[in-house]
Amino acid sequence: MNTLVNFQPLMLDLMVLFVGLLVLVMDVLMPPGRKRGLGQLTAVALAGIFALSFVVDVSGVAFSGAYEGGAWALFFKRLFLGAGALVALGGTDHVDRRYPGRQGEFWLLLLFTLVGMMLLPGARTLVLFVVAFELMGMPLTMLAAWPKTEDPTGPGRRAPEAALKMYLVSAASTAITAMGLSLLFGAAGGLRLDVIAAAPQTPLLWLGLFTTLGGLSYKIGAVPFHQWVPDTYEGAPTPVVGYLSVAPKAAGLAAISLILVETFGAASARWLPVVLFITVITLVVGNALAVPQRDAKRLLAYSGIAQMGYLLIAVAANNESGQAVMLFYLAGYVVTNLGAFLVIEAVCADAPDADLSRFHGLYKRAPGLAFALLIFLLSLAGIPFVVGFWAKLYVFMAAYEAGLVWLVALGAGLSILALFYYLRIAKVVYMRAPAEDTPIAVGGGMRLAIALCLAGVVGFGAWPGPIVDAARAAAAAFGG
Amino acid sequence: MDTLTPLQWASLALFGPLVVALVLGVVWPLRKAGGPAAGLSLLGATVNLAAASVLFVGWLGGADTVRATLPWLIHGGPEGASMIELGLHLDGISVSMLWVVAIVAFCVQVFSLGYLSDEPKAGFGRYFTWQSLFLFSMNSLVLAPNLLQLFMGWELVGLCSYLLIGFWFKKPSAARAALKAFWVTKFADMGLLLGLIVLFVHTGGFEWTATTAAAGTVTLLFFLAVMGKSAQFPLHIWLPDAMEGPTPVSALLHAATMVAAGVFLVVRAQPLFAQAPLTGEVMTWVGAFTALFAASVAVVQTDIKKVLAYSTCSQLGYMIAALGSGAVLGGYFHLTTHAFFKALLFLAAGGLIHAVHSNELSHMGGLLKRLPVTGWTFIIGALALAGFPGFSGFFSKDLILEGLFDAGAYGPLAMLLIGAFLTAFYMGRVVFMALLGPPSEHAEHAHEAGGAMTLPLVLLATLALGLGFFAGPMARLYGLTYHFHLGAVGITATALGLAGIGTAWIMFGPKQGLQGLAAAFAPLGRVARSGAVDKGFALAYRQALLGLGAGVAWVDRYIVDGLINVMGYASLAFGDRLRAVQTGNVRDYVYAVVAGLLLLGAFGAIVQG
Repeated sequence: MNTLVNFQPLMLDLMVLFVGLLVLVMDVLMPPGRKRGLGQLTAVALAGIFALSFVVDVSGVAFSGAYEGGAWALFFKRLFLGAGALVALGGTDHVDRRYPGRQGEFWLLLLFTLVGMMLLPGARTLVLFVVAFELMGMPLTMLAAWPKTEDPTGPGRRAPEAALKMYLVSAASTAITAMGLSLLFGAAGGLRLDVIAAAPQTPLLWLGLFTTLGGLSYKIGAVPFHQWVPDTYEGAPTPVVGYLSVAPKAAGLAAISLILVETFGAASARWLPVVLFITVITLVVGNALAVPQRDAKRLLAYSGIAQMGYLLIAVAANNESGQAVMLFYLAGYVVTNLGAFLVIEAVCADAPDADLSRFHGLYKRAPGLAFALLIFLLSLAGIPFVVGFWAKLYVFMAAYEAGLVWLVALGAGLSILALFYYLRIAKVVYMRAPAEDTPIAVGGGMRLAIALCLAGVVGFGAWPGPIVDAARAAAAAFGG
Repeated sequence: MDTLTPLQWASLALFGPLVVALVLGVVWPLRKAGGPAAGLSLLGATVNLAAASVLFVGWLGGADTVRATLPWLIHGGPEGASMIELGLHLDGISVSMLWVVAIVAFCVQVFSLGYLSDEPKAGFGRYFTWQSLFLFSMNSLVLAPNLLQLFMGWELVGLCSYLLIGFWFKKPSAARAALKAFWVTKFADMGLLLGLIVLFVHTGGFEWTATTAAAGTVTLLFFLAVMGKSAQFPLHIWLPDAMEGPTPVSALLHAATMVAAGVFLVVRAQPLFAQAPLTGEVMTWVGAFTALFAASVAVVQTDIKKVLAYSTCSQLGYMIAALGSGAVLGGYFHLTTHAFFKALLFLAAGGLIHAVHSNELSHMGGLLKRLPVTGWTFIIGALALAGFPGFSGFFSKDLILEGLFDAGAYGPLAMLLIGAFLTAFYMGRVVFMALLGPPSEHAEHAHEAGGAMTLPLVLLATLALGLGFFAGPMARLYGLTYHFHLGAVGITATALGLAGIGTAWIMFGPKQGLQGLAAAFAPLGRVARSGAVDKGFALAYRQALLGLGAGVAWVDRYIVDGLINVMGYASLAFGDRLRAVQTGNVRDYVYAVVAGLLLLGAFGAIVQG
């Protein structure tokens, strides 16, 4: 088959693109004031594509080997589609209420970021890498800047600042990534990953690798490239932050896995110390700085940094089971973290910030939300019966098997510290008197999205077998 | 038994309380109604007790091990694919523990009907929801077919403990105690998790029957968790604080069942522990030291619940010491007898507290006349705890001491013998101060509570009194044999126990002639009351861990940011351009990216050498 024009592996990506164009057309056709349907359309369409991903065959190679489908890439695509569908479902209310006239563009940009992410795990050439990353990153920045601030004390007042910080740091790190990739190209004489893998191992090649790694670390918010994360999370609209905290992180880890494990897996002795160094400081700084936070979104920002540290442990294991662990961890992390941010959105929808005092006595005002938040926090902390427990268990097992006993001890010790700050939220939710007694009204879409996340967290926790099997099968296809 | 198989009975015992907890958790009008919720919970506990009793009788008759499992996860261990299962494991060990938990839980729930009758309805319903959830969690721990499922039950009972200690969460001390308990045990639980990981990597499974060269590491890590759960020195610090919870909760979780989970784990994983002589040695010493230490602290407590709490630490120490030196029967039998008499003591103490509305021993006095049933059952429990001949505690404690003697662990044995004296002494002190002696003004209007609070006491007192004579059948349950014989050790212990009671009588008895002797114990009391150990831990936890957070925050703010600022001044031209676009410190973030990159490059270069 002529792989140059083989679009089969890109079917799902193209469908998402098509949905984007559909949203664009519908936006024009729909009368003003009734654009709410665009968000619902996005949610339904993404859920439909998610379902189709189990039917459509997207394996194979496209563009003469520049793009490669397969189980590993498909696992990531499902994560992105799931995250996108959940955000659209839970975020429709937010978008409809806050930006009634600008709904079409919002969902269009979200769908474009999704296309960028979905292209990434299949990319096997550096050019496609850069294109996919920019397609993902630019619209994300615009989404973070979406609120227009008329009211200096109202919600969204810090969004422009958050978006600008994200943009500037992102520009710097994109430049660094691009430089790293060009160094790789220069050292290897080719753009394809297999060419780079076979290239002579020169200092130039290592310089390129570490520069690229630095740029990619920004994408996942690993320390010391993390400083944009708390500011952006605090200021950007909460549904966008929820999306930002899971999907691009997964995409970044896909890219890191492609570069480190797929391309340079045989030379792991070279990069392992550097990755372990990043892992350790990410774990320590993320966990330690989460402790004194007073704002739920900032707290989850630092907790997310710490979670990236645990995921990097799986990458550092540099083998098939490490990849399986990473995929499983990500699947659990998507539903858990997204669910937590959706609850924050439900509670603080009209508040200028997400200070912990807004969660006082949530148990009385919205028992369902309080319970969901508790479960998400327990999952993030890695308590049994929810999916986060298995994720932590597998990460520690992978690290122990790779001989990194000290890293297991460090990770386990820090996870006790993590329990402290997660429980602090749970404590104010359940054990403080509420400042006001008004019940919190939650829209149907948000309710369904949180319920789906909760079902995922509890369901995968009680019966992790299917996801574990899928992650293992996907990991087995990796590098094959 | 004719109609249902053992597995069906066990499922009934396990899922009955779960269904109740779920119904109460979801149907909130029912929960908020209070009384109906309690009725439903009690129904669950009754079903649980019936099923557990059927199973217990069946296993007393000598049934074989029954195991039913579902494949849960399939894994590639070092020896290829292996299976992790979810299911039930019924043998003498699990069935007897199931029965013990069922009886105590039933008694505690009945007792709570009376004890918490003044609670608001919503709180009453919440309490019984958590009671049912606890019962399910404990049963899933006890019936687990492998250590991973046991761990899940282990964590769940920890969560229930947190919820129930903090039941009166409007009281700040209760909320703090709940968090402290959760933290300390959670820290210890990491040992179990890490032990499981090591076990899995070496054997490809979570079976307690595995044979592995890593047994030493695995069991030492397990023992860390045991120390947390079963309140062994120095991780015992959470248990006295846990007394902030309602007294029936203390009886169920913090005396009879949950704290015994650590001991149960050691019994369950005996094949693993038997491969690790060093762990056994450590256990014997830690257990014996805790037994002695906690008993001496109990002597000076003025709060009746605190006496019982330290006594629980101490008695768990006896069990751990026994298991460490290989006296499995002694350790496990003492778990069983202790569960009954300590639950009895707590519930009876709850009855006394209920009558005088105070925990302080000095506010009681002369209560035996006013509360004869509660008082006499308390005395039965106290005699059992003191190891008075004929009471259940006498037989199980004797087994432990003989076991240590046979194992040649003379140092720990001496500690336990002194502990036996102190045990009898502090229990005698409580009995003489609270039940006999001149009545205080608080006690004048005290009166016996209703049947809901006295019937459970009578049931538990019967078991505390009589269970010792069934050591033979109980031993057969565990696949061991028992012959009663009273050796020199037993006679010494009995004599020391009697001496302890006598000393208490001299000091706190009706005459209270020898107050001077009490002064002799005062220095010990000051050390314990000053809470030096507790403070040390508070320091370690609060200061060290929060300090770590603050320290890293400081480094982040001053050192990292400071470095970046220095770089910023060095390149003002670039900075100016950025400043034109944005005020604030985003410039610093970009520099951080660059600095991080340089750091990576430098680190990479150093490693490449």
